[in-house]
Amino acid sequence: MISISQNNLLGSNPCKLLFIIICFNISNNIDARPISWSGGSTIMYKSNFMMTSYYYHYSPSYKYSLGLEYIDDKHFDEKYVNFRTTYLLNRINTDNSQGNLYLTGSLSSESSSHYNYGFHGDWETRRIFTSFSFIDKNTNVRDYNESELQLGIAPYKGEYNDLHTWIMLKSKRDTINDQWDTYPFIKLFKGDFLIEIGTDNSHWDIHYMMRF
Amino acid sequence: MRYLIVLIIFPMNLLLANTHHDHGSHMHHEGHEHVHKSVDGTNTQIDESKYNDFIAGMSDAKIVKVDVKGMVCDFCARGIEKTFYQDKLVKKVDVDLSTGKVLIAYKSDKKINTDEIKNIFLDNGQTATNVVIIMEL
Repeated sequence: MISISQNNLLGSNPCKLLFIIICFNISNNIDARPISWSGGSTIMYKSNFMMTSYYYHYSPSYKYSLGLEYIDDKHFDEKYVNFRTTYLLNRINTDNSQGNLYLTGSLSSESSSHYNYGFHGDWETRRIFTSFSFIDKNTNVRDYNESELQLGIAPYKGEYNDLHTWIMLKSKRDTINDQWDTYPFIKLFKGDFLIEIGTDNSHWDIHYMMRF
Repeated sequence: MRYLIVLIIFPMNLLLANTHHDHGSHMHHEGHEHVHKSVDGTNTQIDESKYNDFIAGMSDAKIVKVDVKGMVCDFCARGIEKTFYQDKLVKKVDVDLSTGKVLIAYKSDKKINTDEIKNIFLDNGQTATNVVIIMEL
């Protein structure tokens, strides 16, 4: 398990903090494609029972993205802005698949002890999508971490410019609730627009994304 | 109840997707590839039907075919078109996810630089393995 204590992190070495900001990306969830093409921008809206977020990121290169995220944290009743960055550690392209491994990190406007870092990876073909993530979250209230797994199947192979559909299963666990929460969702995208809608029968997960 | 709503949305979506397949503006081909002699004399595989649709009515152009690895997702391939169309000498781009090939029509006065083309794909997240000028119209 990745764990850096607040004291160790901030102790007397701001370089460590800077290192985390630059090298590790912080995210609140797995984002589909956290880095765009070189020069590309992405706007995201995400809402679930823990928080609502509005996120914009820009990718100066295909290797990393920089962004700002406004978060309404329902669980801890906080509102703040995150500076987020994601770095592509490795990408494997084959004829029929693509795999990615990312480092991610964020620093909150709330305080210097409010930050996240972690990693996530994905692998997909035109029929199958899998991903995982682990995020260590440090807040003013308490520190915890989140793990997430996703598995998806495309019922048909859409061509370029078609409406694409994915039937997905998401499994999440955080150390606050300390239990795996598994539920289905649907991912739809066409052109520059993507939406994910899911529910565990007690709350909705909604994720909207636009690229330009 | 919420599961039910999701289950209703899904078949509706499939219906919309099938409708799009029937009447959509994008042409779909099951891909019957043939050997085609490129400008430099080498043989390359192209889908004749798709290629003929692509060049229909076109003149004064150089047609480039690119074999691409990692081009499995429409949403992730959007940058290919966007980046190429920034070049004023690009007339038309066609992305084919099923064969992993991209056709690019340049104006005839474009000097083709294969490294430049490969870098555009790299910047978009894919790997261009082969760049061939297949026709000068």
